[in-house]
Amino acid sequence: MLLEVKNLKIYFYTKRGVVRAVDGVNLNVDKGEIVGLAGESGSGKSTIGYGIMRLVPFPGKIVDGQILFEGEDILKLDENTFRKNYRWKKIAMVFQGSMSGFTPVFKIKDQIIEVLKIHGWEGDYEKRVEELFKMVNLDPMLANKYPHELSGGQKQRAFIAMALALNPDLLIADEPTTALDVIVQEYIVNLFKKLRKELGISIIFITHDLALLSEISDRVYVMYAGKIMESGPSEVIFKKPRHPYTQALIESIATLDKNEIKGIPGSMPDLSKPPLGCRFNTRCPFAKDICFKEEPKMKEFSDGDEVACWLY
Amino acid sequence: MVMKLPAGSTEDYIVKVENLHVYFTKGGMFSKKTVIKALDGVSLTIRNREILGVVGESGSGKTTLGRTTIGLQKPTSGNVYLRVDGREINVAKTPLKKLGRYVQMIYQDPYSSIDPIMRVYDVLAMPLKYRKETDIDAKIEEAMRLVNLPLELLENRVYQLSGGQRQRLSIARAIVVNPRYVVADEPTTMLDASLKGEILKIIKDAREVKNISFMLITHELPIAKIISDRIAVLYLGKLVELGRADEIIRNPLHPYTQALIDAYPTINPELKDKIKEMKIKPDIIRPERGCVFAPRCPFAMPKCKEEEPQLKEVSQGHYVACWLY
Repeated sequence: MLLEVKNLKIYFYTKRGVVRAVDGVNLNVDKGEIVGLAGESGSGKSTIGYGIMRLVPFPGKIVDGQILFEGEDILKLDENTFRKNYRWKKIAMVFQGSMSGFTPVFKIKDQIIEVLKIHGWEGDYEKRVEELFKMVNLDPMLANKYPHELSGGQKQRAFIAMALALNPDLLIADEPTTALDVIVQEYIVNLFKKLRKELGISIIFITHDLALLSEISDRVYVMYAGKIMESGPSEVIFKKPRHPYTQALIESIATLDKNEIKGIPGSMPDLSKPPLGCRFNTRCPFAKDICFKEEPKMKEFSDGDEVACWLY
Repeated sequence: MVMKLPAGSTEDYIVKVENLHVYFTKGGMFSKKTVIKALDGVSLTIRNREILGVVGESGSGKTTLGRTTIGLQKPTSGNVYLRVDGREINVAKTPLKKLGRYVQMIYQDPYSSIDPIMRVYDVLAMPLKYRKETDIDAKIEEAMRLVNLPLELLENRVYQLSGGQRQRLSIARAIVVNPRYVVADEPTTMLDASLKGEILKIIKDAREVKNISFMLITHELPIAKIISDRIAVLYLGKLVELGRADEIIRNPLHPYTQALIDAYPTINPELKDKIKEMKIKPDIIRPERGCVFAPRCPFAMPKCKEEEPQLKEVSQGHYVACWLY
């Protein structure tokens, strides 16, 4: 197992109270695996990504749990060791707004070389940049340009190139295609599949777009209000999901073969005062007494599906 | 002289766009001055009580088209007419204050398009008071009901509302003044999948109850398909295809529309190990002449690089600008 997240809790200490954004999450990623992390905005999916990078923004804090990377608990390392040996080197992240992650005043090439230098890359910098650009299907000539001279899709690919600069084992992609047009999105999805195939890289693909996720991930974790509701192989999650939330979420995806889309009435609970019992109980059409009293435990099924729901 | 109506028009239109050009100039102070043709000769009409979906990638000119039809953007050339109260008015020549009685807009981002510290009641009362209307409370209640917001929220401040509620409020604000035509610019884009369906339903209800015509701008094809009567596909400022929504999705004719539909993800876990074959290049290239899509088109012929195709009716009500037809 490349990455094992165990009972991870990330809380935000705000004036309104303690917001339990990630509340006891378990998640595994195998070598060469593409794992999807799905959920609505505010479900905590991005926070998990930041947690693994140890970049949780203030006033958030990792309060409990373990993050084992190749067996080593990276939460126990001091910041210096983590920065030197893990962040960008073994674990890299691409963000939704990565397109605007470049400094406008330097050429893209120089920004990538800077990353290589800081992390002590040994070898020809120029050649490495060229190699990286080819990897993400960009004309290496574009490396000599300033960020504003590239289109959104080109910048996003250049940022992915930068994230790959030090040959990471794990790439966390947080809504990497959300701001892009569908045709560019398809290129980026193809690119991730190619990277996995050719470099054996593992990817955590975080998105709210379930249709997109179905086309790329081996396994999917469905998150709601800081908790994993269901996880399992893509075939199970998309073909016969068990959790009412997963079912509703899939019903609500807009695809071209649908004539209407159903929504999920209601909204996510306030995570500074999460409801007793199951966190989906306020919106669940099947909620019964016990759902309001006790939190359901994860239950495993023979097809690899795991579900936290009192229906099972 | 009787002007010929744009492609796909019926006599029963509310908005008529004629040969619309909107150019922006970029640079000039430190860099070379360039002209960006956001809209380059678009003609179409929006029928009474119609929801016209306008789709295209970023830079296609779809937002510019929407803004120009309600007077927020002046055309470089060409005209937009609005047919209200039994006469036709030229949008570019009518003051915004007067236009506001007939046209409204719903914006993409419900967080930045409504003042967060205003009371919900005031958000809806302001446009009514501005027009010195009467029965303000009754009109506000009607709008709140149409968008499914509980009346108790009227005393709340906007920042206390969720994203979905804010977007519903922004629709209420647009329809409270009883407009005839509303431009909704990506109204579902910022919302979670679980909330999109409801917003679409509210827009449809507003059309039914208040007889409003809509232009719905979106880059999400399934949204356009679900809500629109007809779909217009824009590419680099040109109208490349126009037709009934189901027809456009089922039988797209333009290679660009076909590529858009192909690229749209479906729920299909079997695809996870497959790398889809990409027929067209991801990056937009603007050619000097000929068809705007030719540099990316897999079917481009020599003619496409020389001469620009005009919109042509290929089957009843289905128009495409492409030399293949």
